[in-house]
Amino acid sequence: MIANRGEIALRINRACQELGVSTVAIFSEADRDSLHVRQADEAFCVGPGPAGRSYLNIPNIISTALITRCDAIHPGYGFLAENARFAEICSDHGLTFIGPEPRVIALMGDKASAKKVVREAGVPTTPGTDVLRSLEEAYEAATSIGYPILLKATAGGGGRGMRVVEEPGELQRAYAGATAESEASFKDGRLYVEKLIRTPRHIEVQVLGDEFGNVVHLGERDCSIQKPAHQKIVEETPAPNLAPAIRASLHEMALRVCRHVGYTNAGTLEFLAAGDDVYFMEMNTRIQVEHPVTEMVYNIDLVKEQIRIASGESLGYRQNDLAGRGHAIECRINAEDVRNHFAPAAGTVSKLVFPGGPGIRVDTHLYAGATIPPYYDSMIAKVIAYGDTREIAIARMERALSETVIEGVQTTIDLCIEILAAPAFRNGRYDVEFLSNELALR
Amino acid sequence: MSAHLAYVGIGTNAGDRAENVSRALRELQSVGTLLARSSTYLTAPWGRFDQAEFFNAVVSLETELSPHDLLDALHAIERRLGRTAGERWGPRVIDLDVLLYDDLTIADERLRVPHERLAERAFVLVPLAELDHRFAAMRDALPPSELAGVIRVEREGGTVMSEISSTISGRVRALANFLSSGDAVRVRIERGSDEIEVARRRQHVDRPRRANDRAASGAAALRFDTIKADLVGIFNLSRPAPSEGETFDGDRELAYIEALGIRTPVHSMGAGRLVRISATDGSPVEYGQPLFSIART
Repeated sequence: MIANRGEIALRINRACQELGVSTVAIFSEADRDSLHVRQADEAFCVGPGPAGRSYLNIPNIISTALITRCDAIHPGYGFLAENARFAEICSDHGLTFIGPEPRVIALMGDKASAKKVVREAGVPTTPGTDVLRSLEEAYEAATSIGYPILLKATAGGGGRGMRVVEEPGELQRAYAGATAESEASFKDGRLYVEKLIRTPRHIEVQVLGDEFGNVVHLGERDCSIQKPAHQKIVEETPAPNLAPAIRASLHEMALRVCRHVGYTNAGTLEFLAAGDDVYFMEMNTRIQVEHPVTEMVYNIDLVKEQIRIASGESLGYRQNDLAGRGHAIECRINAEDVRNHFAPAAGTVSKLVFPGGPGIRVDTHLYAGATIPPYYDSMIAKVIAYGDTREIAIARMERALSETVIEGVQTTIDLCIEILAAPAFRNGRYDVEFLSNELALR
Repeated sequence: MSAHLAYVGIGTNAGDRAENVSRALRELQSVGTLLARSSTYLTAPWGRFDQAEFFNAVVSLETELSPHDLLDALHAIERRLGRTAGERWGPRVIDLDVLLYDDLTIADERLRVPHERLAERAFVLVPLAELDHRFAAMRDALPPSELAGVIRVEREGGTVMSEISSTISGRVRALANFLSSGDAVRVRIERGSDEIEVARRRQHVDRPRRANDRAASGAAALRFDTIKADLVGIFNLSRPAPSEGETFDGDRELAYIEALGIRTPVHSMGAGRLVRISATDGSPVEYGQPLFSIART
């Protein structure tokens, strides 16, 4: 069963189809006409539009899996993907959850406890706190760590439930806002404090582990290009202009953490890199949105690997067997009004032309005539470009974006084109402040 | 004197139909305060097949007239606008019907409220559902071929397109029938410089949480509720099994949905007549799946 929606549900369905695995799709009433619903072997409506009553509706989801006699559930990303309780419930009902064990999900999914565990493995982390118990504790922590600080959701991801606090006067409001957003997005409003490291790069490492203790990494991705709300918009691999020593160190630390916690299935460790310093930030115990760039460079199907691992197969290869080749870039296309603080743009897609040609991959659930529901995040497509060199990948991406036509909703395509043309991007010397600076110049 | 809520149906298939509808609306203002009006629809004549097509609409209005006085007033308007007492289903310059009056049920020689054929007529239910979403279920329960016979007339700059030639409307109707019989959503025909495009729009109405809550005030005495599953599980009729056509005086447990070892009962939510059992005993149901249709009296 595919317990998700949109492009990732379609992605999972594709992997299953190639593996000869039959699929059951679940959908909300707002997604009845969605592409993956049409392509799955069976489909069940599990609730109305709002995610809390559909894609987070554990009883209806489990009930559907049992009725259709599913063997396993793939949670995708977001929603229940990092919900340890859901993984437990799956296992209680004899359903294989495609991801790590509940124990590991809980350990690494809780951002504050993850840092503790990682430090045990000898990996440096950003100065910060455990889960805050009160606003007062937040004030104390911020003072001792030193402003500026980040308030982050411990159950969080995708930039939600996060606030930057530059000075004490902003803290109360930021605390309230982050708590509310986190509660709404993840049903868990707890926060922790982290030192805000200025102008770092966001570099993450992809890992895979099987149930026999074999762990490998599949290179790093640079995801520094982020919208003001810490939401990624352009990602690439390998990270450009990264000192070889630091690159090797990131890979090695990722493997060390995985072995230390007994990590299985797919995961990503996120780091902040500033100068020669590297800090572990958090680990996402799931497949990530930007996984396609790694797939292109390593010529591997990560979703298939997830399914294989969950079915008890061993990886079948070792680190030495893996070699990244070439360069890949991904641009996320969102239905958003860039000029209006990226406000989600609703609407029906009237005309749609996606690019093709050498080295281009498009992951999307969109089709002409599709209506974009207002209940979910606004990403509608991912365009991925691959080339032997970074220059070729950039040229292909520029060509692909200029070929792309999406009418009926506003999208971030033009913003992506501008990002690719910016000197800082072309030189491969950018950090997490890059996009904010670019936008401020307009 | 107190104010009452009435729904009036408007129909015309002779002369300048758009103009007839406009004139009727103006005349209705002498009867009460117009609250809302539906779109105008082009509809196939009901009961006879060799006549021109109708324009139909429904309005809601607030009136102090009693039901019979209202009926008299509507007849007076019909006469003023040129209607002659003709054959029962013949061409009409203007036809005004009392569809609903508060939540009253009236049945005498002169007047039947709710209008007796309301539940069967797409040309009444479609515009009525625009004004009162509680009729959406009744509308959706009509056969697709009936619904295809009711075509909303687009407004250009606020005025209703008055002249639709019978050839064009015939083609539109044929396309609408074609659409309603399959999965296609949009059909377009181009011939020379003429083009017709007909699209089927999904009628998704935001249902309230409970399948059949009753509003505090309203005009509908005749109700038609669809009870839908609000969880995923296996649908099982209660024993003894309810049967279609059966009436019950009060709330009745009709079935249960089994999920994760728990049986959640499905109730009739009050008295009524079981018109249809929509799900199969013993088979899985999904969220929102219609289970029972119940007519309330």
